[in-house]
Amino acid sequence: MIGVVIRKELLEVRRSPVLLLSMASLPATVVAVPIALLAWLVRAAPEQALLFVQDVYGVHEPAGVAAGVASVLARNWLPMFLVLPIFLAVLLAAQSIGGERERRTLEPLLATPVGTLSIVAGKSVAAMLPALAITWIAAALFCLGIDAIAGHMLLPDPAWLFGTLVLSPLLALFGNATAVVVSSRVLDPRAAQNLAASTVLPLLALLVFQLAGRIALGPRFYFALAAGVAAADVALIAVAVRLFDREKLLTR
Amino acid sequence: MAAIEADALAKSFGGRPACRDVSFTVERGEVFGLLGPNGAGKTTTLRMLAGLYAPDAGTARVAGHSIAAGRPGGPELRARVGLLTESPGFYDRLTARENLMYFARLQTARQPARRCDALLDRFALREHAHRPFAELSRGMKQKLAIARALVHDPEVILLDEPTVGLDPEATREVRSVVAELAADHATIVLCTHHLEEVERLCSRAAFIAGRLVAIHEIRRGSLLRIELAAPFAPDGVRGLCHSLRLSGSTLLIEPRAEVPEIVAALVRAGARIAEVAPHRDPLEDAWLQLLAEARER
Repeated sequence: MIGVVIRKELLEVRRSPVLLLSMASLPATVVAVPIALLAWLVRAAPEQALLFVQDVYGVHEPAGVAAGVASVLARNWLPMFLVLPIFLAVLLAAQSIGGERERRTLEPLLATPVGTLSIVAGKSVAAMLPALAITWIAAALFCLGIDAIAGHMLLPDPAWLFGTLVLSPLLALFGNATAVVVSSRVLDPRAAQNLAASTVLPLLALLVFQLAGRIALGPRFYFALAAGVAAADVALIAVAVRLFDREKLLTR
Repeated sequence: MAAIEADALAKSFGGRPACRDVSFTVERGEVFGLLGPNGAGKTTTLRMLAGLYAPDAGTARVAGHSIAAGRPGGPELRARVGLLTESPGFYDRLTARENLMYFARLQTARQPARRCDALLDRFALREHAHRPFAELSRGMKQKLAIARALVHDPEVILLDEPTVGLDPEATREVRSVVAELAADHATIVLCTHHLEEVERLCSRAAFIAGRLVAIHEIRRGSLLRIELAAPFAPDGVRGLCHSLRLSGSTLLIEPRAEVPEIVAALVRAGARIAEVAPHRDPLEDAWLQLLAEARER
C-alpha cells in the first residue's frame, strides 16, 4: 500500500509546475548566487577579497586568492545545504497532507482499508525522495563550481560528505515529520507550511553567525546535530502516527 | 442476516450531540433512506457505519463486521463498504482513470485496471478517462465518485447526499445511476434531504433529527387517485378495491382490479371523472409532521 501512495504522490508532484518551480528556485539560488559572486569577486577585486577572508576568517591560503576565497565559502556555506532538505520536505509534506483536507480528498482516502501508518509513511517517503534528490544534485553542482574556481578539489570534504549523506536525510525526515504533525493540527496547508518551515530558522541563524565570522561550526557540532535531529525524528514520527487518527482528522 | 444492523448508535463532538438512539436494519438488496435536515446527524451516522467514527454508545454490524462504542470498524469493514462522500474528493491533476485506479489499488480491488475500465464504461466516462479530474463536469465528477464507491465491489454502499449541489441535468444523471444500482439489488443507504429521491428510490426511510424519529415504509404506486368533477357516492365500485376513501372530490383507492376496469365501472355508475393518477406516497406530510413532533419534544 505504501508503494501505491508514493506513486500517486510523486505523480501529483510531477503534474504541478508551480510546485516544481518553487522547489527548484531555492536550490538554484543557493548554488548559483554564491558561485557567481565568488567568480566575480576573484576576478574583479582579488586583493580586497583576500584581505577580507584573512581579516574575517583568518584564512591564509598558500594556493592563491581563488583557492582562499573558495575555501572560506566551502567551509561556511554547508548550513545552507542543511536548510534545503528541511525546507523542501516541508513544502511537499504540508501540501500533501494539508492539501488532502483542503481538496476534501481526506475522507475518501480514510474510508479505504489502508492503515494510517501506511498513509503517513507513503506520504513521507514521497516528500523526502524529491527533497533529498534535489539537495544532493544542488550540493554536487556547488562542489563542482567551488572546485572549478579553486582550481583543485576542495569539496566534498568529510564535513560536506557527512552533511549531505547523513545529516540531510535526517533533516528531511525532521522537516517532513514536523509538517505531518503541524498539518494534522492546522487546517490551512499554507499556514502549516509556514509554521513547519520556521524550523529552519535556527540553522539560518547559525549560517549568518558563521558567515559573519562569529562562530566556526566543526565536526563536533555536526555530529551533535545529527544525534539531536535523529532523536527528534523518532519523537516526531511517534507523535505524527498518533495524531494521524481517522476521526480526529475528519472532525478538526 | 441483515446487511446493516444499527442499535442505539450515538455520537457527540466536544460534548455536543450529533445523533443518538439511531437504530435500524437494512436488508440485503434493500435501498434504505436516511432523511433529515442539515445537521441532523445523517453524515455522522453514515461515517460510523463506514468505519470512520467510533460511536460513543450503541453497536452496529455492517456486512458482518462489528462496530461498538469506542471501536470504529476496522480495515475489514472498510473493505466491504463503498462510501460516496458528500464532496467527490479527487485529485485535480490526476486523470479520471488515474484517480479511480489509485482508489482501486488502495481498496485492493481484484484486477483493478479491468474493474476501473468496466466502471468507466458503465458510467459513460470512458471517453473522459484521460482528462484531468479538474476538467470534468459536476455530473461526471459525481459519477466518478460513485464508481469509486463501487470499485471494490462492496457489500454495502453508503451514499451521502449524492445530488447535493448538482444542476438539474447532473442530478437526473446521478439519480438514474442510483436507480440502476437499486435495480441490480445492491444494498444501499441513501442519505439525503430530498424527499423525492427517497420516494423514488427507497423501500424504507429513517427520519433523523438529532435522533431517530421514525422509520417510514415507502408505498409506491399502490394507491390510485381519482379526481371527481362532481359529487358522487362510489359504493358501487367497492368490490373492485382493497380499500376506498373519499375525501371531498378526491377518491383514493387501493385497486383490486385493473385501473381501466375500475374507471369503466365508475363511469357506468354515473361518476364524472376529471383526472386519474397514481397516488404518491405522502412522505412529505409524514416528514413535516414527524419533524414538528420532534421539535415539540
